[in-house]
Order: sequence, then structure tokens, then C-alpha cells
Amino acid sequence: MIGSDETMRRTALWEAHRALGARLVPFGGFEMPVQYGGGILQEHDAVRKAAGVFDLSHMAQFELRGPGVGAWAEALTVNTVATIKPGGARYNIFCNAAGGALDDVIFYRLDGERWLLVVNAANAAKMWAHLTAHPGDGVELTNRHGERALIAIQGPKAAEILSGFVAADIAAMKYYTCLETTVRGVPAIVARTGYTGEDGFEIFVDSDYATNLWDALLAVRGPHGPYPCGLGARDVLRLEAGMPLYGHEMTEEIGPIQAQLNWAVKLSKPAFIGKDALAAQVAAGDFSRIVGIVLDGKVPARAGYPVLVDGHVAGEVRSGSLAPSLGKNIATALVPAAAASVGASLGVEIRGTIHPATVVALPFYKRAT
Amino acid sequence: MAQPAGLLYSKDHEWVKIDGDIATVGITDYAQASLGDIVYVELPRMGAVLTQFGNIGVVESVKAVSDLFNPIGGEVVEINTGLEADPALLNREPFEGGWLFKLKLADAGEQSNLLSPDSYEALIAEA
Repeated sequence: MIGSDETMRRTALWEAHRALGARLVPFGGFEMPVQYGGGILQEHDAVRKAAGVFDLSHMAQFELRGPGVGAWAEALTVNTVATIKPGGARYNIFCNAAGGALDDVIFYRLDGERWLLVVNAANAAKMWAHLTAHPGDGVELTNRHGERALIAIQGPKAAEILSGFVAADIAAMKYYTCLETTVRGVPAIVARTGYTGEDGFEIFVDSDYATNLWDALLAVRGPHGPYPCGLGARDVLRLEAGMPLYGHEMTEEIGPIQAQLNWAVKLSKPAFIGKDALAAQVAAGDFSRIVGIVLDGKVPARAGYPVLVDGHVAGEVRSGSLAPSLGKNIATALVPAAAASVGASLGVEIRGTIHPATVVALPFYKRAT
Repeated sequence: MAQPAGLLYSKDHEWVKIDGDIATVGITDYAQASLGDIVYVELPRMGAVLTQFGNIGVVESVKAVSDLFNPIGGEVVEINTGLEADPALLNREPFEGGWLFKLKLADAGEQSNLLSPDSYEALIAEA
């Protein structure tokens, strides 16, 4: 993917991360904070109890414009797009013809003809090539990857903290909506979206103002934060919330039906890339699929560990971590249909020893509402 | 930052404290800081005979598994059982309460393969 000789890109917040004592690692072609000085557990707790602030400027932002965007995108993705109202946002997945996932994304509709598509950093080049290989009538595409900052504030205090800086009434925003407003007097797009299982917002703002906003958000300091949070905490938070991570729960081989994202796959649409394969999979029903598991004991499961059904290797762990919210070791695993029922007993092989685990319903963690 | 005196160090960031024929083994402050929040420690069993620099267990942080190497050969005579309930002891007190296990030394001469506090400090300064 990323060669060691490739120059790492930096987001507009790189200096701020350094000043905060971040450990920076290569991720999606960018040098990104995996954690700050206080550690992943502190960052995780900040998001669950108060708020955490994330730099997501590495994620690719594609601008889509024109009267044809809705119809064009419907033919390339599994979910509906044209029905998103201005000010709306929707999760979606691009598939290949075999029903494997190319990427999972969010479409934001700013107004009648202006859209924003956010794709995973690691898939940015692949997705740009895919989109430009399928030109649409009345669709203009502009690649803004790395040109504009994206800062997320997530947690029960996110709305309260961010409200102080935004002209619009963000507390009134519904989940999965977006609006164009000003943040500290600067034009920005604010979306009530996130990847942590908490309430929260994502703010698209010109790179020149990113540090100013970042510092302002972190200066609102309560007993539990906000703290700056890195990709490590983000991964633990999303796993607890049962949200898929591309490359783990979904890949070009593991499609959205296998990832148990049936709610996002609209087989009633007339045609889209991958539809036939996904429909065949649903009809056959015997596909291996992603499940949530909780392990007995204290040993964490990690991606790639073998999963045993009736004593035989039948699947593998796709993501695994201690879940600080539960005090248990949790994981996702790809297992045969017969072993995917909630309550099913599995084994996870960890360094030669089989550790018992149980299939549970996702998400592992759900916030109190 | 000086490394604690009276200890010997390995290039794999373990420390050893020799007391007669008993060696106490742990990981360094540099190691715990690099690992981050430690959530699980897998130690060798009582009575296990370990060779110098052999892979003898793992330390797991929230996000990663790291191998643990044994800095000096010997037989395991005591395990720090407190780490099972509180692995974060390794983060808080790497040189004290977070010790891993004690060995009955097989060959005191193996100490010559380890680093002095100053040499270890120089090693991590380069990292």
C-alpha cells in the first residue's frame, strides 16, 4: 500500500499534534496521530463521558456537483442517494461487480446540486479512479483530498462545546444532517455525523483555520476533556459501537451483506454495480458473515487470529481489542452462517491456546439516550 | 533522563536486578511509554527454564501485541501475580511494583551480555 520511500503527507494540524505530544504514524498516506500523551484509555473515556476532538483531515473529500449526481451515484452504490434531501447525509458503500466492497463512504447533500463525498484515506486513489472511470451526465467531480481540514468533536458534551463557536443552531440538528454555516466567523460545513457511537459533529473547514478551531475546541476544558484523540481511540470507539472499518469488516472480498449491513443495501433499486452478486448471496443465504464476539478471560483477540467452530478452524478475527466501556475483550469475526447466531460458542486461537468466546448482538456498546 | 542505577538492561528494553543468584526482571520506563496503556501481560510459568534473549511472553496494549524477551537465563521462581488483576501497574511503576518475574540464575556470566544504565540510556537516545 504505502511504500516506506513514499513521502508522508501532513494535515494542517501536524504542528498542533506534535506540540500535544502525539505519536505520529503513517496512515492512508498521511502522518497521523495514533495517540497523544495521556493514552488511548484516557482518550476513549473522554469521548464516552465528555468529548474528544479528532483530526480527520486525511480522509478524502470529493466535491460532486450537478443535477445528475443523485441518479449517477445510485447506479454506483448499494444505498439510495437521490432521495437525500438538501442538508441530509447518508452512509453508503461502493461495490465491485462481485459484490465485494470498494469503500464505505458518506454522501452529504449541501443543496440541490452540491454534494460532498467523504471516502477513506486508504482508498482515496482507488475511489477517485473508480468515480472518474464512471462519468455521469450532469456530474462534475473535484478531488479535494488533503485541501480542506476535517475536525470531529464527539461525545455527550460535543453539542454544548461546539455551540459556542457556530453561528447556526447546531443543537437542533438531527443525526446525519449537515449545514453550511460559519465557525468562529469562518465558512464551514457542520455535520452531525461520527464514528464513535456517541453524539457528535464533523466540521469541514479551510485548512488555514484548522489550528485556530482545534485550539479553541481544546481550550474548553472540563473534568473529562475535551481531549485530543488519535486513531487508536477512534478504532476502539468504533469497534465498541459495532461500526465497520474498511479493510477489516469490509474488503473487496467481504461485501456489505457479509458485513451484516443489509439495512444499507437496497436491492429494490433497479440496478447498481454488485447488485446481482449481492442478491444471489442473500438468496443463497449460506455466506460467511461478520459477527461480534465477546471472549472469556483477559487475553485480547487480534485481527487475523483463527476462529474455531466445533474445534475446527472455520473463520478469523477481523478486529479485536479490550473494550474499556465493557471491561471485556471484544472482537469481530468472519464465521460461517451456521456459527453466526447470537449465543453461539466459538473458540479463538491465541498463541496456540483456544480461548472460548460467544457471539453477541452488535453493537457492543450503545449510548444511553 | 537517567536510567535507574544498579540495574542491567537489554536491547529489547527489559531490565534485570541481580541479588545473589536471583534476578528480578521487568520492562523499562521507555518500553512502557512506547507500548501505551497495557491491558494484558502473559508471563512464563513457575518452574519454566528460560534462555537468555528467548521469547517468553507478550505484553499487550490496547492496540498492539509486543513480544517479551528474557534478558537473562534461569528458572522462574516467582511471578508478579499482581499484574494479572492490574496490568497497568507496568505503566505506573515499571521499575518497582511492575516487575514481571524472578529467576534463579543459570549462568551469572550472561550479565556481560547486558547493558549498563549509561549504555542503555545511549541506546534509547538514538531511537
